[in-house]
Amino acid sequence: MDNQMTLTFIARSENEGLARVAVTSFIAQLDPTIEELSECKTIVSEAVSNAIIHGYANNPNGIITIHAIRDGAAISVAIKDEGCGIEDIEQAREPLYTTKPEIERSGMGFTIMESFSDFLQVESNVGIGTVITFTKQISSARTLVT
Amino acid sequence: MKFNMTLHPNQVLVIKLYGELDHHQTEKVRAQISKAILQGNVKLLIWNLEQLHFMDSSGIGLILGRIRELRAVDGQTVILNPSETMQKIFKFSGLGGLIMEGSEQNVILQARGIVNG
Repeated sequence: MDNQMTLTFIARSENEGLARVAVTSFIAQLDPTIEELSECKTIVSEAVSNAIIHGYANNPNGIITIHAIRDGAAISVAIKDEGCGIEDIEQAREPLYTTKPEIERSGMGFTIMESFSDFLQVESNVGIGTVITFTKQISSARTLVT
Repeated sequence: MKFNMTLHPNQVLVIKLYGELDHHQTEKVRAQISKAILQGNVKLLIWNLEQLHFMDSSGIGLILGRIRELRAVDGQTVILNPSETMQKIFKFSGLGGLIMEGSEQNVILQARGIVNG
């Protein structure tokens, strides 16, 4: 492991931007392309929004923790909440599936996270919480490291 | 977030978004945009995204919601100049066909042709 960081904040939607900036700065060490950076930023935004809206049902007392690791050219980021958990992960990952159409959630969050990451893991236990972990190889760093 | 709305002749509404559009921001702008669509009796809605630096799936929800409102009056939607990452997000969501490139003025002229058909 070459570097790591942990960020903890409460589940307020204002903090979605904070989470993106922190992870973006961490990944910037690897000199990623604009596309790579903006894809990572999108994954973080989706996962943190999910934690706030679904995990904690907009209860701002919830705690969200982001743990990012850089290992060579690979970035691994875990976004963790201790909220209600996901009952059916497979269903949640289906494109266009949402439990909150009334607030115009598109149901595309998981599809976007899967498409923009090299690997996406979703661990969830009802009543305990959810951890979404993604890994992504950064192309510019890949050529440096090998 | 900063955004501005301009109502052009023939019920064309242009919404220009700046900065970052996420869940937090969409909650703040939705009502205003919705109101403008209904009051302007809008037939063509152009989302000008050239100054938008970030968007996640909340943006998809916002645009899909307005497409639904426009459906009642047969209104059309154009997504103008999204970034590469946004283009991917629109394509995953089945909105790739609404993307156009170019200047606002050209698109208004071109799209008016489509609308008046």
